[in-house]
Amino acid sequence: MPARYLHPMNKALILMSALTAAALPGWAALGGSVETVASDQVRMQAKRAVTQMREYNIHLISRDDGTLIKEYVTPEGKVFGISWTGPTIPDLTQLLGTYNAEFQTSVRAQPRRRRAGVVRNPDLVVESTGHMRAFYGRAYVNSMLPSGVTAEIVK
Amino acid sequence: MRRASLAAAVAALVMVTLVGCGGGSAPATTTPTPVSNTQQIVVDLGPDLNGQKVGADNSLYTNVQICLPGTSTCQTIDHVLVDTGSSGLRLLSTSVGLPLSYIVDANNNGIGNCIQFPDTSFQWGPMAKVDVHMAGEVSTVPIQIVSPSNFNGPPTACSAGGVPANTPSSLGANGILGVGLFRQDCGAACASSAPPNVYFSCPASGCTTTTVALTAQLQNPVWMFPQDNNGLSIKLPAIGATGATTVVGTITFGIGTQTNNALGSAQAQAATARGTFTTTFGGVAYTNSFIDSALGAFYFLDSATTGLPNCAANGDAAGLYCAPSPVSLTAITSGPNPSSSGTIVSQNIAFSVWNALTLIDSGNPAFNNIGGPNPGAFAWGLPFFYGRTVFIGIEGQTTPAGTGPYWAY
Repeated sequence: MPARYLHPMNKALILMSALTAAALPGWAALGGSVETVASDQVRMQAKRAVTQMREYNIHLISRDDGTLIKEYVTPEGKVFGISWTGPTIPDLTQLLGTYNAEFQTSVRAQPRRRRAGVVRNPDLVVESTGHMRAFYGRAYVNSMLPSGVTAEIVK
Repeated sequence: MRRASLAAAVAALVMVTLVGCGGGSAPATTTPTPVSNTQQIVVDLGPDLNGQKVGADNSLYTNVQICLPGTSTCQTIDHVLVDTGSSGLRLLSTSVGLPLSYIVDANNNGIGNCIQFPDTSFQWGPMAKVDVHMAGEVSTVPIQIVSPSNFNGPPTACSAGGVPANTPSSLGANGILGVGLFRQDCGAACASSAPPNVYFSCPASGCTTTTVALTAQLQNPVWMFPQDNNGLSIKLPAIGATGATTVVGTITFGIGTQTNNALGSAQAQAATARGTFTTTFGGVAYTNSFIDSALGAFYFLDSATTGLPNCAANGDAAGLYCAPSPVSLTAITSGPNPSSSGTIVSQNIAFSVWNALTLIDSGNPAFNNIGGPNPGAFAWGLPFFYGRTVFIGIEGQTTPAGTGPYWAY
């Protein structure tokens, strides 16, 4: 839960809101702008809540099937990190956006082996793991981390 | 590939004959007479494709016989991957010779089934109902036929930019036998709502997501057996630190239902409704941990947390740990006692991780000390099974240790 990472002084900044998907823009892809409207959000019938931290915001997106996606957004509105849990793997082509090609290429460059999808390139980090009914993972872009923020907060 | 050259050299040595179904001696003490409930499993170099073995390291296989329902029109498929991380039987269409009819929905559209794996591979295809025979057991269940040419191609929500595991070489097996903790592949999530990437209704014009009732989903064939249906156990012998060419073990159906499947000294730990449990390492509890026989290594945490160096990113062992000498580690698995008491049961798990590159390049397919990263959790892969009998209590099924889902070892 986001509160786990809160410094006490930031608690006053929290703003929680849960709205239906139809009334909101969708979530953005990694590296993209939070204003980006995802074409299939309405279909996914997701709900969204926003937690404002001092150095970034967390957009918590939940779906009826138990999928939970967190998007970590800079004050400038750029998505620098994403995490997910759920019974199935969320659509990473959408969540990783322009970084999906690099993720796919890096994963395929590893020898064929049933395993977690772990890519740790200099800038892009993706960790996708789990099994049917319990998938989880995260992705972030090192160069986009807000000043004073470490990658550990993306979880 | 070093594996390929070695495969040819040792092919003659690893012609393991698997027991497909039936057989065994039936103890004739009481009525009804128990059926044979054990079948051979093996870790070897994998299925043969044009004289070349195409398996992946630490792949556990068995034979599965399928028949047209209620008939003796059958075929036996070898080198089906035994997977405790999923539920349901999935066979490559190229391995299936029976004239199967695909299951259709109320609108007479074929139902497409999708499973995605974290390494971005996926399996897609229609379902068909067959009799699944293993040991002396039989159940009539829907199975997935992977990538047949006479069915819709994968929806983009299923392929998701990944690669299909639809050939013996891309899968390293002729199919996947999902005998995990759950009765169905997806369960309630696919019956009440429609996740975007599991079940699809597929008219010729294209597939759209659909809900599927529990009874019509892909079924774990074990819980549909008329008996010995509350779980199973997987027993593999211990192997040495340099690996093994072939490892032969036993899969036994039922828990405490016959004289050969008692829990004995095994301790049961309940899993969550998601199939996870807690593994504690270095004083930190990792709650998303799981046991998965289809994973070829101990996948756990990362290099920074474990101190284990990563293997070279461009070599045979990319994505694994390469410790210069064997490193002995201990973790603690824990979960509630699945009986009504609910007391937390914990067990120390000692394991070892060595140099994956050295091991893989040895040409052996079976290793008990190969590891790799899985940030934030422990994924106990096939190495966990060597030297153990691991029981799987299926969800909602009653056993002497309580009700599943649980693991016992």
